[in-house]
Amino acid sequence: MRGREFFLGRYAELGQRLTGEETTPQAIRVNPLKAGDGHVIEVLEGEGVRLRKIPYLDHGYRVIHSGFSLGASLEYLLGLYSIQETASQLPAQMLRPGPVDVALDMCSAPGGKTTQMAAYMGDQGVLIAVDSSRDRLYAVENSLERCGVTNALIYHGDAAAIDLGTRFTKVLLDAPCSGNYATDPKWFSKRTMRDVEANAARQRRLLGRALELLEPGGTLLYSTCSLEPEEDELNIQWLLENHDAELAPINGPGAPGLTSVFSEELDPRVSRCRRLWPGGGTQGFFLAEVTKP
Amino acid sequence: MRLLRRLLRHLNSSLTLSEAEVTRINDKYFTIGPVLIDRLRVREGLVYAGRYLGRDRRLFEPSSLLLQMLASEPGTYKVHVGRAAAWLFVCGRDLFEESVEEIEPRLILGAHYLVVHGGRCVGYGRYETAGERRVLRNLFDLGDFLRRES
Repeated sequence: MRGREFFLGRYAELGQRLTGEETTPQAIRVNPLKAGDGHVIEVLEGEGVRLRKIPYLDHGYRVIHSGFSLGASLEYLLGLYSIQETASQLPAQMLRPGPVDVALDMCSAPGGKTTQMAAYMGDQGVLIAVDSSRDRLYAVENSLERCGVTNALIYHGDAAAIDLGTRFTKVLLDAPCSGNYATDPKWFSKRTMRDVEANAARQRRLLGRALELLEPGGTLLYSTCSLEPEEDELNIQWLLENHDAELAPINGPGAPGLTSVFSEELDPRVSRCRRLWPGGGTQGFFLAEVTKP
Repeated sequence: MRLLRRLLRHLNSSLTLSEAEVTRINDKYFTIGPVLIDRLRVREGLVYAGRYLGRDRRLFEPSSLLLQMLASEPGTYKVHVGRAAAWLFVCGRDLFEESVEEIEPRLILGAHYLVVHGGRCVGYGRYETAGERRVLRNLFDLGDFLRRES
């Protein structure tokens, strides 16, 4: 249960005809903690970069042309912007933590969404970031420093087991997942259904813990960049069946979450989630906004 | 703290940091605001907290957050440069005197200066003579972000 034809066949069964060649264009996100969009765009365009605003993102721009690496410019080093794929800018934007929130980023490396959360918080309130990989946490530390973030604590640990002695008003769980071929040309030769099932099991542990760490009335944003329903809609179905949780409708790009998956009918509320197939200007992505009564 | 205080002195900063205000995690120094302190209930696994100041190396290696704080402080020694010179500096190059648009307060050989472009600090260096010329010897620059991850 692997390979290009197998996975493309699954997507077709879910109603999406894909070629397997879809890619996602480079995008940047302006960091409002350091500069306004107008300033950053003006400076980059002065250096010959061509950008186009992504209409559904607050500070996201598609890179149309750049004659140099945008990850090594003066403005990048100054933290005026970050390189962040279009769909991956959606979770923090939808969660939108504010300056009085106590927010948690459960699987924070490499830190793009963590710095985005800090920006929404205006570098106020409390932001706690956790990741199980010490090596990958160095990238989070560098991102926080570069982007001028001072309201964060970073912990090395397993988010499914960690106890920080506090509860959170906003939780982001951008879960470790199988990924998708739009960002990895070798994806089809690497992934098997066994990986998908292992990831889905890990994600359920994380989802359960996320809900425990959430204050009543709080919001959990669950996201993956996997196209596999086992890691997406079926995990949300599991959450609804096993926990006291509700789903808030998500508006934005993409399609409603699937409610019919390989002949299995899901709770109709799962359609409140959002599924982005690759090819529409983004990679594959899935988003669910969970509230705790 | 000794190396950090020496850097502050070199840059003529009036910033005072007491031992009680500064938290050390491994070889890194931080200041943590009261709101964050209130939620800092577990120390195990903590690797980063609040405002990162820098870390001990042979010299104190300042964070970009500390450099920006110092650049915003009146009285610290600074040189102001254009974009091209700022870019060369973050690439690890020294600055020649002719690249400097303005010096605060004046040129003092042997003194340390923050390098500022458009109000943003990109590093710091020490004024030295190199043969017939005066140069700001690069001691630290923001290109370090790329070097750390390579």
